[in-house]
Amino acid sequence: MLNEIMVDVKGLVKRYGSFVAVKGVEFQVKKGEIFGLLGPNGAGKTTTIEMLVGLRKADEGTANLASFDVRKQVNKVKEVIGVQLQSTSLFELLKVEEILHLYASFYPSNVDIPQLIDDMLLSEKQNDRIKGLSGGQKQRLAIALALIHDPNIVFLDEPTTGLDPQARRTLWDIVLRLKELGKTVILSTHYMDEAHVLCDRIGIMDQGELIALDTPTNLVKKLQATSSVEFRLTNPPEQEWFMKMDGVEEVSIKDTFVQLYTDDLQLALTSLIQVSSEHDLNIKDLQTRTATLEDVFIHMTGRSLRES
Amino acid sequence: MRAYWQLTLAQLRIFARNKQVLFFTLLFPVILMLALGSFVGGGNTLSITVGMVDLDQTDASKDLKELFNKNEGIETQSYKKTETGKEAVENGNIQLLIEIPKGYEASLKDKNQAFSLPVYYNEKNLSASELGLTVVNGIIDQYSKQLVDYKPLVTIERVGIEALNLRYIDFLVPGIVAMMIMSNNMNGVAGQISAWRERGILRRMQGTRLKASTFIAAQITARLLLNGTQALLVVLIADLIFNINVAGSWLAMIFFIVLGTLAFMSIGFIIAGIAKNPESAGPIAGFASFPLLFLGGVFFPVSNMPDWFQPIVKVLPIAPLTSALRETMNLGTPIFQLGTETLILGAWLVGGFALASYVFKWE
Repeated sequence: MLNEIMVDVKGLVKRYGSFVAVKGVEFQVKKGEIFGLLGPNGAGKTTTIEMLVGLRKADEGTANLASFDVRKQVNKVKEVIGVQLQSTSLFELLKVEEILHLYASFYPSNVDIPQLIDDMLLSEKQNDRIKGLSGGQKQRLAIALALIHDPNIVFLDEPTTGLDPQARRTLWDIVLRLKELGKTVILSTHYMDEAHVLCDRIGIMDQGELIALDTPTNLVKKLQATSSVEFRLTNPPEQEWFMKMDGVEEVSIKDTFVQLYTDDLQLALTSLIQVSSEHDLNIKDLQTRTATLEDVFIHMTGRSLRES
Repeated sequence: MRAYWQLTLAQLRIFARNKQVLFFTLLFPVILMLALGSFVGGGNTLSITVGMVDLDQTDASKDLKELFNKNEGIETQSYKKTETGKEAVENGNIQLLIEIPKGYEASLKDKNQAFSLPVYYNEKNLSASELGLTVVNGIIDQYSKQLVDYKPLVTIERVGIEALNLRYIDFLVPGIVAMMIMSNNMNGVAGQISAWRERGILRRMQGTRLKASTFIAAQITARLLLNGTQALLVVLIADLIFNINVAGSWLAMIFFIVLGTLAFMSIGFIIAGIAKNPESAGPIAGFASFPLLFLGGVFFPVSNMPDWFQPIVKVLPIAPLTSALRETMNLGTPIFQLGTETLILGAWLVGGFALASYVFKWE
């Protein structure tokens, strides 16, 4: 039962004029899984999600959601999915409870609304206008609206973007609770820590392509180097100069900031100290850490998540 | 069906909570009506005031004065001296001055020759004077025939077509109601729908099972309730303050208010569909409504415009609405005689919604 495939994406392509926003994305999501689409802004995450929920027509390819074809059975699909879209706003002058009743009326059946309000931690605000809600509360309301008709598959497009750390953590708990309820969740994010905490599997997207797909742990393991040594150096020498050092697998230099990737942290550190004293390098802010998804992204694209 | 009611309810709640919009959409027509109604025209369209100087001071001269006083078509004003009366004619305070010279009664009793009454008028104000002279002539003619027991062989039967005492305000109120229907619906729909689209509110609803037709139907219902009530409120205010009376049936008036609301709402939906963003929806709606305001017979009668232009004006949606409202409110024309107006508005409605559903987009 758990291996039942809920989302089957087959070669989705979306073009805007000559610009190809999504270039043949393919993946499958199993029932009860939290699947993350990770990538920088403009990577095609939102476009992919919008094609999956039937808001945009794919130029090529299709997707089956709970075995309904999104191109041919869009109304059936809309019954089994719930969506929280990026940067949507709601009727600001309506109250929390009123808008839940409104959205409930769009479907043949709906969940118990007071219970849903309670689950989304909105009990105190149920008679408040949407206008007066905080960012986190609005986002929880958006998720409540996505869950109103008890869908099997829930799409969350950047649910925590722009929220403070506290609100993000509250939202993470809610997403994890969805998994416990047996929902299949597809979420997009550009926060690697979020993807790491929430997702069972992650697809990394860049420039319209899915460039990697695996569990977070496996993605990091696939990096040839598992640790990183970082420091600042005024006038750092060329990349090749560091590559010659023992144990260094890869080097990334941004202005004065140098990152050395290694499989053998001890060896790399020892050679760094040795080289720096030989050439009289003035190393500042020296740090070591284990590699993260961010490093996976840098490794695969040569760019960091934030800058692109 | 549940979605339709919920959406209608939601829209009415949004209206009720947006007090500012509610207030100003109602305030503007009321203020316009008050300002134009009080300052322009003052009520009199074209009235003839006749001054009378009685130098004879006899029973016969009093009879004559009484005759003019009783006539409803003119007003009278007494002067002691001919000089002051003449000044009043020159100033335009009165249009005519009738002098009853000394010896009027004596001459009447004599019955041998016709007595001529001098009537002074101002040549600079010919049209009013001519009209006044005709009226005065008629009165005197009838009076003198009565005095000599003249029995005419051929008479005309005077079927009194009661002159409509139409004031400018009576003309204005239907126009203002029409203007209000136009601007509230066209600008209101275009602005709100395009703003909702911009903010992604519509797109979120597109992600549900909601159908566009249900959404539009609910919009129409809610707006019809709101704008219809507002229009009726303006009529009621006009009724209270200016004492305008609806000559025709209120049902017919409400019918045209509803028809006009629907026709202009459909145009609003078209503009919402065409406008790329809420910022451009305003100017487009303004572009459409501003000329209509002047061409539609809201402030001036369509008949004052050049002949070649009138057919164009008459098929624009505003003119049939104002004219239908005027016919109903001022003249009490029954609804089945207003087929042309109904037809033109109906055509705009059907054509408008057909085009609107074609250009409507969720995002």
